[in-house]
Amino acid sequence: MSEMIIAAHGVEVELGDTPVLRDVGLVAAAGEVVAVLGENGAGKSTLLRCLAGLRPPLRGLIEVLSGPPVDAAEFWERVVLVGDEPAWYPGLSVQEHLELMSAVHRDARLTVGEALDMFELRGRAELSPLTLSTGQRQRLSLAMALLRPSRLLLLDEPERGLDAAFRARLAAILQGYAGDGGTVVMATHDLQLATATGARLITLEAAS
Amino acid sequence: MTWSDRYAAVFGAALGVALLGQPLAATLRGLAAGVDPARLAAALALVMVAYAGYLALARLLGPVVLPAADAAWLVLSPLPRRSVLGRAVTVLLVIAVAGGAVLGLAALSAFGAPDNLVLRLVAALVVGVGAGAGGMAAAVLAQAAGAWDSWLRVAIAGIVVMAVLVAVLGSGPARQALTAVAGAPVGLAVSAAGLVAAGAAVLLRRAWAALDRIPARRLLSSSVRSGRVISAAVTLDPGALTWAAEDDHWRGRALGSRPWPGFAAAGGWGRALAPAWQEWRRAGRRPGRLAVLSGSVALPALAAQASGGMSVLPIGVLLCGALAAAVACTTGARRDGDNPSLARLLAVDGRALLAARALLPALMAGLWSTLALAGLAVAGVLPGGPWWLLGPALAPALAAAALRMAGRRPVDHAQPVIETPVGSLPTGPLIWALTGVDLALLGCLPTLAALTDPAASPATSVVVQALVGGGVLAAFLLRRGRRSTASDG
Repeated sequence: MSEMIIAAHGVEVELGDTPVLRDVGLVAAAGEVVAVLGENGAGKSTLLRCLAGLRPPLRGLIEVLSGPPVDAAEFWERVVLVGDEPAWYPGLSVQEHLELMSAVHRDARLTVGEALDMFELRGRAELSPLTLSTGQRQRLSLAMALLRPSRLLLLDEPERGLDAAFRARLAAILQGYAGDGGTVVMATHDLQLATATGARLITLEAAS
Repeated sequence: MTWSDRYAAVFGAALGVALLGQPLAATLRGLAAGVDPARLAAALALVMVAYAGYLALARLLGPVVLPAADAAWLVLSPLPRRSVLGRAVTVLLVIAVAGGAVLGLAALSAFGAPDNLVLRLVAALVVGVGAGAGGMAAAVLAQAAGAWDSWLRVAIAGIVVMAVLVAVLGSGPARQALTAVAGAPVGLAVSAAGLVAAGAAVLLRRAWAALDRIPARRLLSSSVRSGRVISAAVTLDPGALTWAAEDDHWRGRALGSRPWPGFAAAGGWGRALAPAWQEWRRAGRRPGRLAVLSGSVALPALAAQASGGMSVLPIGVLLCGALAAAVACTTGARRDGDNPSLARLLAVDGRALLAARALLPALMAGLWSTLALAGLAVAGVLPGGPWWLLGPALAPALAAAALRMAGRRPVDHAQPVIETPVGSLPTGPLIWALTGVDLALLGCLPTLAALTDPAASPATSVVVQALVGGGVLAAFLLRRGRRSTASDG
């Protein structure tokens, strides 16, 4: 039986007095891809933030890698979150952001050159990320996330800004990550991407 | 306008007269006493640096700008360009005249007025206003055509070089020449004023003609840039402004990637050095900024000479300059404070990262203050002894202050507003502005005390400053490091 990576039960979150998540549960094992679907405002991003330890739930139990998620370096050494607000260090090129990630993490999953090729960024390697298009910036975010070693990938709408061809490629990349024993939980609106990764689908209903 | 607004306006005007009237009258009376040769070169150099800053700012901001809506709609319409830009040009003219008059008065206070005070005052005002208006006209021409822009950049650099020459040579070989200029007959001053006025008139005429030819894209980009300035000022969020300038600088640049040094192989603290290296690489890629910082180390000495010795002005310039040198190297810490997603990806211990990030600001602040203190010693305003040793001793406290500034949150407008006789005082922006400065003042207290009343030897002050500075940095790292990596940045 595969190791359990995420076990969340009865999660409830309110923003102000508005309920966002009501009695939500999610389990994910090592090597599994889970896609969280749902309409806008259903609480997909909030659930990911709960799993990342960035928003403590009002009620419920969340365990990630056999412990409660905490916003601390030890947690982030094993967990990667790609959110909706990418950030870049001023003065560094696309390639240097990948170099930095590779320099900090031993046992990187990819070399910088492999990441540039896999995410089709070779032609933009010398530019500042600010110069890239939305889709290219998203590819850089994903490249940094997948270059470094991790056991759990939390992706918030990874398809944002990506063209159809690259979405298919991303599905293969995520399948490869899961094949290596990693776990992927992604909030997405792209059912085609979700099914292409072979993900188990979970649909959130808007809490009322 | 409410009664409260009227009261605030009248009170403000009365306060302005009370604050500025007396020093202005004293300055004008002091002019008749003649020039002080010891202060002449330094004061003149400061005026020249201020003029170069005025031109650089005009060039940076546009200078012709429109509100965002006007820029988007009217500039691209078939309306005559001059009528669209009319109001903006009037505002520029008012700014140029006011700024020029202040510069003229400052120059006159440097040169003094041994005779014909009224005539020399008028001549100084004409020179100042002419230089202000002419400079603004040159900036408008630079906005319209690349060739003028190149010339303006050369002129700004030339003025800075001349200011350095005046500051360096003015207290030595060129002192006689400057004194001779200060004592020149009033007729010569009037003639110079006439020449400057004529030159300004020519530039203004050409700028007026060029208004029709300013490319729309330049007007639009200047307007967007200034829109950010106004927006930052209205929302009292200067942080957004500095990010806009930083992003503008890097957008579209090919940077020439280099491999990352292998700090992480050392493990432990080595892992924290790798992200901190970003700041070193960025600093190396902004040589212009480093050159400006290097040149500005002379400002405390100039301020001391211009104000006749060690006083609040040179000490304030020293502290502000050293803090600015440190703050200029904290973009990585600021980025992680604003948006910790990269810090989470890096997964480096927060305290170790903060300590690694303190190295470059400490080095920059230490170097800057060491050179500035050496300049003060060379200028003869400090007694004998190795006063420059206070520079390295100041470094840790200034690094802590700079990192505290980098980690501050946006202005909290929910903070209470205190009503004072002068008007409302919003505490949110006040707290924001003082965050970081508080640590700088606290950590640099021994140096401030030592410079206010310099002893024969700085040895004791250096030791006390080193202990206090080190203590402030250690306490800051311990306190900030307690927070988590991500939320701390």
